[in-house]
Amino acid sequence: MNPNLSDRFGRLLIASVSCAAMLYLALPLFVVIAISFTTTEYLKFPPDGLTLRWYWQVVSDPTFVEAFVISGQLAAAATASALLLGVPAALIFARKQFPGSRALSALFLSPLVLPTIVLGVAILQYASALGFARTFWALFVGHVVLVTPYVIRTSLASLTGLEPVHEEAAQDLGATAVQTFFLVTLPQVKPGVIAGALFAFINSWINVEVSIFNSTAQLVTIPVKLFNYIQFNIDPTLAAVSAATIYIAIVVVVAIDLAVGIEKAAVNTTADTRM
Amino acid sequence: MRITSANAAFLMLGPIAFFAVFFLAPFGLLVVESFTHPDGGATLANYLTVLGDAYYWKALLNTLLISLWVTVVCFLLGYPLAYFLVFHVRRAWIRRFIYVLLVTPLFTSNIVRAFGWIVILGRRGVVNSSLLAVGLIQQPLEILYSKLSIVIGLSYILLPVMALSVCSVLQSVDRSLIEAARDLGARPSRAFLAVTFPLSVPGVIAGSIIVFALSVSAYVIPSILSGGREMVTPILIFQQYTATFRPDIGATLSIVLLAVTLLLIGAYLSLFERLRTVG
Repeated sequence: MNPNLSDRFGRLLIASVSCAAMLYLALPLFVVIAISFTTTEYLKFPPDGLTLRWYWQVVSDPTFVEAFVISGQLAAAATASALLLGVPAALIFARKQFPGSRALSALFLSPLVLPTIVLGVAILQYASALGFARTFWALFVGHVVLVTPYVIRTSLASLTGLEPVHEEAAQDLGATAVQTFFLVTLPQVKPGVIAGALFAFINSWINVEVSIFNSTAQLVTIPVKLFNYIQFNIDPTLAAVSAATIYIAIVVVVAIDLAVGIEKAAVNTTADTRM
Repeated sequence: MRITSANAAFLMLGPIAFFAVFFLAPFGLLVVESFTHPDGGATLANYLTVLGDAYYWKALLNTLLISLWVTVVCFLLGYPLAYFLVFHVRRAWIRRFIYVLLVTPLFTSNIVRAFGWIVILGRRGVVNSSLLAVGLIQQPLEILYSKLSIVIGLSYILLPVMALSVCSVLQSVDRSLIEAARDLGARPSRAFLAVTFPLSVPGVIAGSIIVFALSVSAYVIPSILSGGREMVTPILIFQQYTATFRPDIGATLSIVLLAVTLLLIGAYLSLFERLRTVG
């Protein structure tokens, strides 16, 4: 083959595979959103007509509303705790050398790669032994373990990228460590911490594997509720709830983009596998 | 910031205590449980049951086979996408759009993503109705509720992870090396094979580890997209707690799954380390 032609062919191949990959990424979410507006009683794509009926059905079903509330409370509580645990840990990892720090950071980040279902099982058996199985607290501790790594990772990335000269200047001028942290360090790493908090929130919000073992008929998060629902019904109501969770995902993506830029956040948080 | 050792110890106390009590202790209890006889007393019986039963082995092999396929699909789609994103996309808004496209699925529950595939792959789904309309097929294809639909669903979930891993290394590839290869007369394809690709291997390996590990431990997608026709280890674990009520076997299977995951990660990381020392 003519060399020029083969190079053009290569470029074309990369572009077309990429377009196929993007279509693959977009299609399922697009389809779910589209069918949530159908006027038919069954799933239809492309949808027939346009109605908000299924959304109304969800909002007027107290069990769905309750599940949304529980998920929101759980994600908020887990994120707040992850910040309290994760930001100080990241600060120490970034600014202090000590024996065993590598092992310790590997421990804190390991929930990112360990089987989530095993974490769910472990928390269930532990909570059963201690008598708090299937309570909000069992869900809570599992979720904190699950999401703290995100806060540590993004905070650590921001802190290591920050030259400590301002902090040292503040301390040389007599600021205490606490003053230095809140007045000098935190304002500079705030975007990274916010991005970490958003990653933590959303990963608690969408989790099934940890939650499912500690759920009851009353205590159920929205993904677990959907998981139970999908076993028996595949209908436009399911599409409406699913679409609502996609809208929330989009809001969080936009928030991350505004905080640190989606490109940086995505690559730092998802792709960096150093432990 | 200069932090005194006393302050550092104080700040680390919280995270260490929390992870000790709610992460290490539960996993420790799981290990103990897996070695405990239902009537009390230490035993290897659970492991002998699990390792001696062809059914469990079949599920594990099925899990590994599916994960291997998922890793391959993620690489074949994710590498070109990352390459395209880093080297070909010039406009900032297109780049941003692609990143949003990569991250939004990551922020959506597995249930919702599985549901999307049910709608697309089902008997009357998007794929079948389009193919029927065009006349390419006379009967709807049975894609849903098979190994294929699990691989499609899992690859979809893990594609962003692979693509972003490869992106992160491609971004750091020194472009002057590629230009040097081109100046010395290498065609783009040759420059890619001799320079860019070898430099991006660590990202491919890192992405593959994560994709494989997450795929082996995935529960929701196989559970929904198998329709009960395919068995994987995470589904088996779940059943021990919800159907057969054998927490001892459940704990043992969990430890086996954990061991497989850790072994894979260890193998990949040591390979990664060797690559770095060679390169």
